Amino acid sequence: MEFKKILVPVAGHVADEEAMRFACRMSKRVKGKIWSVYIITIKRSLPLDAEIESEIRKAEGILDHIESVAEEEDCEIETDVLQARDAGPAIIDEAVDKACDLITMGVNYKRRFGQFSLGNVVPYVLQNAPCPVILYHEQ
Amino acid sequence: MTNNWHRKPGDRIFRPRRIKRFRLRRVLGVAAVFSAGYGNVGSSIYYALGIVAVVAIGATPIALGIAGILFIFTALTYAEGTAALPEAGGSASFARHGFNDLAGFAAGWALMLSYIVTIAISAFTIPPYLGFFWEPLKDSAIIGTIASIGIVGFLMVLNVVGIKETSVVNIGAAILDIATQVSLVVIGFILLFNPTVLWHRIIDNWPTSENLVLGIALASIAYTGIETMSQMAEETKRPEQRVPRALVLMIVTVLVIFAGISLVSLSAMSPQELASEWSRDPVAGIAFYLPMEIIRFILKPLIGILAGTILLIATNAGLIGISRLAFSLGSHQLVPPVLSRVHSRFKTPYVSIILFSLVAIIILIPGFFASDVFENMGALYTFGSLLAFMFAHASILSLRIRKPELPRPFKLGGNIRFRGRELPLSAIIGLAAISAIWIIIMITQAYSRWVGLIWMAIGLIIYYLYRRQQGMPLTHTEGREKPKSFWENNRGKRL
Repeated sequence: MEFKKILVPVAGHVADEEAMRFACRMSKRVKGKIWSVYIITIKRSLPLDAEIESEIRKAEGILDHIESVAEEEDCEIETDVLQARDAGPAIIDEAVDKACDLITMGVNYKRRFGQFSLGNVVPYVLQNAPCPVILYHEQ
Repeated sequence: MTNNWHRKPGDRIFRPRRIKRFRLRRVLGVAAVFSAGYGNVGSSIYYALGIVAVVAIGATPIALGIAGILFIFTALTYAEGTAALPEAGGSASFARHGFNDLAGFAAGWALMLSYIVTIAISAFTIPPYLGFFWEPLKDSAIIGTIASIGIVGFLMVLNVVGIKETSVVNIGAAILDIATQVSLVVIGFILLFNPTVLWHRIIDNWPTSENLVLGIALASIAYTGIETMSQMAEETKRPEQRVPRALVLMIVTVLVIFAGISLVSLSAMSPQELASEWSRDPVAGIAFYLPMEIIRFILKPLIGILAGTILLIATNAGLIGISRLAFSLGSHQLVPPVLSRVHSRFKTPYVSIILFSLVAIIILIPGFFASDVFENMGALYTFGSLLAFMFAHASILSLRIRKPELPRPFKLGGNIRFRGRELPLSAIIGLAAISAIWIIIMITQAYSRWVGLIWMAIGLIIYYLYRRQQGMPLTHTEGREKPKSFWENNRGKRL
């Protein structure tokens, strides 16, 4: 399969790096395009366009790091910071808008109540994605 | 892969700073905006009916009707203002653009008072409805007030932590609420409505002129929610079309349902019963008097649960609204930045949430010992809300005069020409009528006059000291380049 438009949502996990590396290798073959987005989740007690400096700085730092990872793979990517009420729908919205062929996401290892947990965002994306989704699971 | 995904209501994406192409995606449609607004406005009838009946007695339906007409004018003003300026802040935003920062602050501060009282009054009327399940909640002032304070405290903690609230809940609650209220109106008209009895109850219990005017003013509490819808504009897909549509839909729905409920209530019980025993839970009173046992059996607990749920949502909406408003005022340097301070872990404006929750609790405290606390809260609400509505109307008129070139995707018709400018008649009438009512309230209602004026004085002192400390003029911001709003950056672009 050819993946010419790949979306890589990042959250600052170690697994994001490998997800980006994988996306770079997939897109290089077909000279595709990669977008990486960081979603700042805004609580309802704040206006949606509220600028939270600490969160924006954190987002910029994460995206800077992801850009450097892509650079190591000799890949150009576009990065964006989004603010939304929920990360899952924001990712899906972005994928729909960009007509992405693939979403790759890093998943860090979480245990909730003794069970391995994917959290809330990943299941939502898996359920609603308009394209294939590849998860990279951090060991 | 087939895309069966549908956008979740309430989600929208805004991109700050690190933007290569500035794109904005809003996802709220008419249904979600309507539901959010109705969740506020529709909840008000659960207490507004009783508050109005305390003063307007037999003229309660007339007071609600006249207030409804003024509500239409105000909603239309908000429709134009929100479509032209779809940012969080409502009338405070309109006033800031239409006049200056001082006007924006005054409108915002008045709005804050009405939000705080909305929080208090919504929480105050939850226990009586839940009294169906445990009578002391309705009969005991101490237990009821403790419960109300507990509700505000609980929601304060939830909002500091930052719960995930979904618009699906709001839409579901609004649908259920409308269905129940419509059912109640239909059943009430079939089983209870008696034009002769109704006519006599109105005529024989006609209030004094002063009380009628007060009743009209208090009836404005039935129509809270306009500000909520205005705030939703920043999250709405094509707000210039959708928000006015949602507002018009809400106007029609609210007026029809409120007219029906007020007529049914006076058919079910006397104005004296409505104003005393059932003043805090009038809708439960209607269910109580339904003649058929089976319908009472179903409706009484249903109304108890539904009213409690809707009022809890409304109380929470008030908290969310005031925290957003405080943040918005802070971001425009109208209030000290401490009110915009965001918790490092929870990412919520915890200072404003805690502060205004405590003020709401202070307003509730007289509930332990004062028998007229309910009416006083209603009168206090009118002080803040009518002042905010006055600012809204005046700002729309000012914008028509000072910024006639401002794009107005929804422009009010029925204009008169004045010095080459078109001024909407609905805004002029709304401003005149609401100003007159506000002045009468100020003259006749000592509690709301003094508490309201003290509130405004405190706010203006804070504003004055803050602006002086920052070296900023009182009326406008000079020498500081404000970042453009996302709407200004995207004006004319397809979103």
